[in-house]
Amino acid sequence: MEQRVNRDVGAGVTDLDPDVELMLRVKDGDGASFGVLLDKHRLPVVHFLYRMIQNHAVAEELAQEVFLRVYRSRATYEPTAKFTTWLFRIATHLALNSLRDGKHQRMEERLDDTSGDLPARQVVDGRPTVEQSMMYRARLDEVRRAVAALPEKQRAAVLMHKYQEMEYTQIAKVLDCSESAVKSLLFRAYETLRARLAHMA
Amino acid sequence: MKCPLEAKRNEVLLAYGSRKLDGGDLRLLEDHLESCPACRDFVQAQRAVWDALDVWEPAPVSADFDRRLYQRIERQPMSWLDRMMRPFQSFGLRYAVPVAASAAVVLMAGLLIHRTPSPLPAPQRDTAQMETLQPEQVELALDEMEALSQLSSPVRADKADSKM
Repeated sequence: MEQRVNRDVGAGVTDLDPDVELMLRVKDGDGASFGVLLDKHRLPVVHFLYRMIQNHAVAEELAQEVFLRVYRSRATYEPTAKFTTWLFRIATHLALNSLRDGKHQRMEERLDDTSGDLPARQVVDGRPTVEQSMMYRARLDEVRRAVAALPEKQRAAVLMHKYQEMEYTQIAKVLDCSESAVKSLLFRAYETLRARLAHMA
Repeated sequence: MKCPLEAKRNEVLLAYGSRKLDGGDLRLLEDHLESCPACRDFVQAQRAVWDALDVWEPAPVSADFDRRLYQRIERQPMSWLDRMMRPFQSFGLRYAVPVAASAAVVLMAGLLIHRTPSPLPAPQRDTAQMETLQPEQVELALDEMEALSQLSSPVRADKADSKM
């Protein structure tokens, strides 16, 4: 009975999510479909991990591990949820473990490292003045510090809500908690961010 | 004045501040914001956070990301399942499994048709002999032992007489 329910859920997910269809092809041995999934999700996964960890090299290393796990799990893959839910679940798990292990630099060192951010000239139209570049740097630094100061789960919830545009239900599945718990995490996180960043308007 | 949104205030304002509210809800809230300074302040602050977060644009992914990933995949030890399925991977597992199952059924059917009618004799083992020992055999052995003892007793009597 339970298996039938899972299969039905899986069939529904497959109909709605083209990424699930691609992953099922990877399961069948189609390497090209893995390449399509990698092309599509490489940037969001690396950026999510970078914003979580705030170290570009570690973020890329963890992103490699995410895709490696996806590839290794292909034989046992079952479409019980959206592909991105599964993908970000792996990514979040690795990010939280990495932060807890503290294998990489201390937070202060990470915040001083700006190699993972776009320089001002690439985000502002035309050539920025020195003053504009400095202002951009200062704003960016403030945003990074505010996000880094959030508790890990609140940080993950905000990043998925803001940058991946995930719904509460999907974030709940990624973080393995209830929808109301996600709302609570987000309300508290945005409250903290409003207190720190509202003056930037 | 108490805000009529109260119960769902955070959720609705967060959605509005994140530009995720549309349709009738959006019009109703915008009407409400004109008369509610508390909600207006909340929304302004949330919009400021939203715009501040937009500033943070990470650098692109390294050019050799895929090459490094595929190298790691190549280095992975191949599981027994992968080894077994490798010949079928060119046309997919979905087709390989039914084809393999059909081949197995045909093979089984062929074996059943050509099977020899006489069964092979069972292999003999010591333990099997012990288990198949019949009561008649035991009786026969006892009778033989009794006959032997009867034959030997006159011989012993004869020897005793000769000594006397």
